[in-house]
Amino acid sequence: MLAIKNLHKHFGSLKALDDVSLEVGADTIVGLIGPNGSGKTTLFNVVSGFYQKDGGEIYFNGERIDGLPPNKIARKGLCRTFQVSKAPEKLTVLENMLLAAKHQIGEGPFSAMFMRGRVKKAEEANLNRALELLDMLQLSKLKNDYAGDLSGGQKKLLSLGRIFMLEPDMILLDEPTAGVNPTLRVQLMEAIQKLQKIEKKAVFIIEHSMKVISGICDSVYVLNFGQKIAEGTPEEIQKNEQVLEAYLSGS
Amino acid sequence: MTIVNFIIYLMTMMGIYSLLAMSLNFQVGVTGLINFGQVAFFCIGSYTSALLVVKAGTPIFVGFLGAMALSGIMGYVMSIPTKSLKTDYWAIATLASGEIIRLIALNEDWLTAGPFGVMGIPQILKGIISRDAYPFFYLFFVVACIVVVYFLLNLLTNSPFGRNLKAIRDEEELCLSLGKNIQNLKLKSMVVAGMVAGLAGALFTFYIAYISPENFRPIETFLMWAMIIVGGRGNHAGAIVGAVVIQLFNVSTRFLAGYVPLSTESMGSLRMFIIGLLIIVFLLYRPEGLIKEKKKIYK
Repeated sequence: MLAIKNLHKHFGSLKALDDVSLEVGADTIVGLIGPNGSGKTTLFNVVSGFYQKDGGEIYFNGERIDGLPPNKIARKGLCRTFQVSKAPEKLTVLENMLLAAKHQIGEGPFSAMFMRGRVKKAEEANLNRALELLDMLQLSKLKNDYAGDLSGGQKKLLSLGRIFMLEPDMILLDEPTAGVNPTLRVQLMEAIQKLQKIEKKAVFIIEHSMKVISGICDSVYVLNFGQKIAEGTPEEIQKNEQVLEAYLSGS
Repeated sequence: MTIVNFIIYLMTMMGIYSLLAMSLNFQVGVTGLINFGQVAFFCIGSYTSALLVVKAGTPIFVGFLGAMALSGIMGYVMSIPTKSLKTDYWAIATLASGEIIRLIALNEDWLTAGPFGVMGIPQILKGIISRDAYPFFYLFFVVACIVVVYFLLNLLTNSPFGRNLKAIRDEEELCLSLGKNIQNLKLKSMVVAGMVAGLAGALFTFYIAYISPENFRPIETFLMWAMIIVGGRGNHAGAIVGAVVIQLFNVSTRFLAGYVPLSTESMGSLRMFIIGLLIIVFLLYRPEGLIKEKKKIYK
């Protein structure tokens, strides 16, 4: 579904991504791990169009997407979350959820003014779905709070909620559970897994916790200094000497 | 000028500036577009309506429509550089575009009569309404425009369109990641705001019946900014309240000149000093303005 071929990204003389090739198939959960500064988030930024690549090709559903602006890539069904959650501070939690819903009516001034009946109906349908998702994410009580007033962990949950609202074909999750309390973290992972199983979405996930990775991922890629140093099932990765070394020497 | 006439004049000017402040608020308070060239819309609206009626001889309502259309187009033009300029650099560009429009009005004599301004602008329904009732009629007309604009802007702000704009204001990158075409949304916001300010320009033209480039100096933009800073951003009632407060200072100090032992010149400076002070005090102690942005509550 997502195919990355020989991707390069430099920041000055620093090779943030050095000839990285990988694939994420449909209907799978794939993990991306590596020590701090190994290029994981950079990879996400390039794939989602926020950074320009310096070489290589990216294909999504057979279509070449490198060079497209981020909003076009998102429209194609490849959506991401951010490591440091972004939440419009003066929109409430519910408004954040509604913001993400796709194919909305009334996103332009004309339809907003002259198609009010249809806008209202569509809003109600989106509202119901948003409330269900918030329930699952245990954010229902905060639905009328400003997103800017949420804690870091709650913002992470909200960004997951928004992504679920958006219903993309493939989700790039950048450390979705960092800062979320442990009980909720398990539920979150279950939610991601459930969503993937039911709706057959592909999930590509950056995580630090090996426990999380081995719990849900079908396969794992490992980055170090911008290079791919290993790939395989979580069990294989845990035994891989190069990976262990990278983690131990890195920290 | 009798007291009654003065109060009617003051209220009419408050009304016209309310529209300008609402338009600026839609850009700054709702969309997060820092526009320092708001007066450009006002100027284009005024001149378009005046020239259409005086030079081209069209009916007055065509003057209104033309003013709104051309100011809307100006909104489109001003939104183009948002593509490549970041917020602050775009703000500087808007400052320049405000001056460019004024300088065109000042120098293109063949069209605008330059510094002499456009004279002999007819007034709406002048023949039908008696001289004494006319100020009241015009005030009523301005208020009716405000009511309609207020209703429409609120409708837009509370629609999915407005939600997108607010999200752009707070987190541009997030909107991109959700697939929003932020360039296009900013464009639409600027066009809507431009049309509202164009309407204010036409109302101004047919009220004072004589316009010159002097009416559209950059200080006007800063008066409108003072209005949304004092009144509050992100809600249109705040813009109206701000326009009332600032115009009260701006116009009434002019009137007071005869009653206080100060020269007209020092009154003028004092006026700007007080408005500047108001801006600082509000930014320091009540940054959200007199009326806070309203939260949308779902049951």
